Amino acid sequence: MVEAIELTKTYPDLQRGAFVALDRVSFVVGEGEVFGLLGPNGAGKTTALRILSTVLQPSSGSARVNGFDVLTHSYEVRHSIGFVSSNTAIYDRMTAWEMVAYFGKLYGLEPPQLEERMHRVFDQLQMHEIRDVPGAKMSTGMRQKVNIARAIVHDPPVLVFDEASLGLDILAARSLLQVIASLRDAGKCIIFSTHIMREVERLCDRVGILYRGRMLALGTLPELSDRYGEADFEELFFKLLLQADKERHTLDDAVMGRR
Amino acid sequence: MNWRHVQLIFQREMLDQLRDRRTLFTIAVLPLLLYPLMGMLMMQMAQFKRDYPVRVEIIGIDNWPSDVPLVDADGKLVPELERDELRGGIEFTVRSWPAEAADVSNLMETTRQAIAADRFDAALLVFPDFEQQLRSRLAAGGPMSLSAQEPGQEGDGRRPTHAKDEEASASTAGSPSLQLIANLARDRSQTARRRLEQVLDRWRSRWVARQLDRAGLSPQLVEPLPIQATDLAPPKVRKAMLWSKVLPFVMLVWALTGAFYPAIDLCAGEKERGTLETLLSSPARRQEIVWGKLATICVFSIATAVLNLLSMHVTAGIVLKQMVAHGAPGAAELLGPMPVHAFGWLILLLLPLSAFFSALALAVAALARSTKEGQYYLMPLLLVTLPLVALPMMPSLELSVSTSLVPVSGAVFLVRSLIEGRYAEAAMHLPVVLAVTVGCCWLAIRWAIRQFESEAVMFRESERWNLRLWVHHLWRDRREVATPTEALLCGVIILVAMFFAQMLAGASINSWPSIVTSTVVVQIGIVLAPAVLMATLLTNSLRESLRLRIPQWSHLAAAILLGIGFHPWYRLLASRVAVLFPIGEETAAALQYFERIVMAQPWWVCVGLLALLPAVCEELTFRGFIFSGLERHGRRLGAILVSAIFFGWTHNLLPQSIAATLMGVLLGVVAWRTGSVWCTMIMHGMNNAMSLLMAWHGHHGTPIPDRLTWMLRSSAGTWEYTTGWTVVGLACSVIALVILFRRPATPPPLPCTAATTP
Repeated sequence: MVEAIELTKTYPDLQRGAFVALDRVSFVVGEGEVFGLLGPNGAGKTTALRILSTVLQPSSGSARVNGFDVLTHSYEVRHSIGFVSSNTAIYDRMTAWEMVAYFGKLYGLEPPQLEERMHRVFDQLQMHEIRDVPGAKMSTGMRQKVNIARAIVHDPPVLVFDEASLGLDILAARSLLQVIASLRDAGKCIIFSTHIMREVERLCDRVGILYRGRMLALGTLPELSDRYGEADFEELFFKLLLQADKERHTLDDAVMGRR
Repeated sequence: MNWRHVQLIFQREMLDQLRDRRTLFTIAVLPLLLYPLMGMLMMQMAQFKRDYPVRVEIIGIDNWPSDVPLVDADGKLVPELERDELRGGIEFTVRSWPAEAADVSNLMETTRQAIAADRFDAALLVFPDFEQQLRSRLAAGGPMSLSAQEPGQEGDGRRPTHAKDEEASASTAGSPSLQLIANLARDRSQTARRRLEQVLDRWRSRWVARQLDRAGLSPQLVEPLPIQATDLAPPKVRKAMLWSKVLPFVMLVWALTGAFYPAIDLCAGEKERGTLETLLSSPARRQEIVWGKLATICVFSIATAVLNLLSMHVTAGIVLKQMVAHGAPGAAELLGPMPVHAFGWLILLLLPLSAFFSALALAVAALARSTKEGQYYLMPLLLVTLPLVALPMMPSLELSVSTSLVPVSGAVFLVRSLIEGRYAEAAMHLPVVLAVTVGCCWLAIRWAIRQFESEAVMFRESERWNLRLWVHHLWRDRREVATPTEALLCGVIILVAMFFAQMLAGASINSWPSIVTSTVVVQIGIVLAPAVLMATLLTNSLRESLRLRIPQWSHLAAAILLGIGFHPWYRLLASRVAVLFPIGEETAAALQYFERIVMAQPWWVCVGLLALLPAVCEELTFRGFIFSGLERHGRRLGAILVSAIFFGWTHNLLPQSIAATLMGVLLGVVAWRTGSVWCTMIMHGMNNAMSLLMAWHGHHGTPIPDRLTWMLRSSAGTWEYTTGWTVVGLACSVIALVILFRRPATPPPLPCTAATTP
């Protein structure tokens, strides 16, 4: 369903010349699977997910979403994906209903189908109470619900949640995880990025750990525990990060020594 | 392009803006309130306005000729000299010439002090010999000489006010015998001087009439030819003239302002609120998003302009009626209601220019990450655009081939012609104005779309700018050729340096040594030096950045063939451009003077200095550094056009600039196909040298050799090509272009590095 092959993204940087945000990252996510993309801030999670949703283009490498290449068939990719991010806000001067309807129309839904989908989504996310509330008057949790609703209104096979629980209170975060679980049960392919370990343990079938643009580890939670000899996932995560830092410093020292 | 997406985005943005109170206030409420409030304020202020009398001291009233008095016994202006325009009047304080005033400078100093201390607004000194001088001047042909002076003015201050007075003064012995002293730094003193001059002019006429009468001649000789002026303009059109100048300006300023705030909100505002990424991840393509937003901005720009126009016109109409009712009949003569058809023309002008302003505002606003930043970016845009809107208000400018080429201004001139009923003139310039306006709109919209497709613009992170880091980055990240920004900067530096050089050199270029110096300084110091310096510092290959690759032999041959074959066509083109864009008489005279100096030199010196040196310097700069830099991202057509425009711009005169720009396009094509400036240098040098040699030989009357008569002919002091050779030249040019396009340049095109998203 989603296939990333050697995805690389570099940005021009005044200090370093070029900054590698994503360094040859590869992973595959299948139907009915929740793939957790983990990493601290600046690890490259958002860049990777922006590339998958065609908002950004890779510097090299390729990716396919629902069988469509993100570079050559970006329009079809955008039709196949629902993208929710902490950077994708909702309009302050539109009500929940107007906002979701607007995106439904952009996704090409015709009136009878749109109406039916909107009722279903509003039921599923329990949003009828906020139907006529303008975005400016909503709480963070409400706004995130509307954000999810506009991303799933066209019933896409692939859903991308980029740190979607950021800033949510415990109730809203729990509700979000329930929604994602139900979407997984509906057979959707879900990529879920976070840096909260508990969410990963609860939700993800497989995880990939990103750090400084590189994929440090990839697999199911039991596989990773076995591979690195650490039962506690949070400890495992820190262990991998420390190990990566150590390797990088050793490499830096070696380069400096040679100079 | 999915127009359904455009429509949806447009509808949403419109709804969003209409729900924003700030936008509604700026667009709808402000214009409805602003002009009535301003009108009210003006009416209030008018109540306080009154014409104050000015205070004038006359020293030496006893010296005034008694047969034609200026003031009566009470010191009041004689009734014969009173006029309506002296509203408020003059309060005279008169005194006799002081008996002890042997030292005139002391008397003047005392008078200056009195004006400086605000005891009087002006003073008139009537010297004891005034009447006597009048008589002697009458004999010499001039009735009276008046000198005007400001307090504190250096010298004796005895300068005559009019040229004819100056002549009269020169023709008679002695100094002027009337002196008017005023302080022009003060309004009231200025008014006093103006009123006094009016009174003295009238007195002068009366005095001359009296002298003519005494000599038995008719006083009507003073005005022998009464002239009756007839105005053919219908009163409505005459009244609309002022509006035709003012309203386009007001309307376009508001169209620009009306585009600003929605543009900032729909771009920078959405980035700031995080809603832009939501839209970017939707199926709408970037260009669909741009069209949707552009249409919204355009609607608000038009609405703001139209509402302001209507509000201003209605308010002005009411104020005018009030002014007429309160005894200002002149206002009714000057101003009247704008004809209805004029509104139609104004709206027609508004549509393309609003689209242009909206696209510019959108493209600029896309750069900003926040509304605050957006306001910083849009202010320079306003400063650049306002002069174009204000230019048509200048009194001596009107629609012509030259002005029709200026973006925005050309369209305003055209509409002014239409409002004033000059339809034939407007129809003649319509194609050019339309082409320029549509071209500008297209470029601005393309720019806006590119901005939205650029990741660097859409996802620009906040970055602290550091000079040391930036310089380090420039040095560290040097490539073989310059970046487009560096290429543009080079072009701008050359234009700015050229401007200052022209201003500083000015009229000093009037001899052969000064021509040599200025040509060398301009070509090497201003045109070549920035390009070579930037190529050395900012790139790591002079060969690549200045396009100094060795060309293929076939390309070299094609360039020579094109140089020879295209020259007759270039001359034809230049002569047509010169007819279309005629230069002023003064400029033509200066050019002829310049040509005479140049033609007096040996031909080989002229060719070396004025043909080959510019060919080398300009090609290295424009087709070398600038074209290569602009071509770096693969935008070849744009690179050819922009480098040609820079090249054309450095040629001072408009006809020369236009011809050079067109030649620059051809040279750009040659540089692209050959990958080398050697070919363009040869072609450019040949073109310059042939033009110069033909002029030189024509100027010296050299007979055309018999073997060349099939190719050349003499015409009006110059050599011209025969029609036969012009046709042969076309064939040569076509063959050369075929060779160039059949054989690509050896080095492959440079890789594309800018990331864009469809």
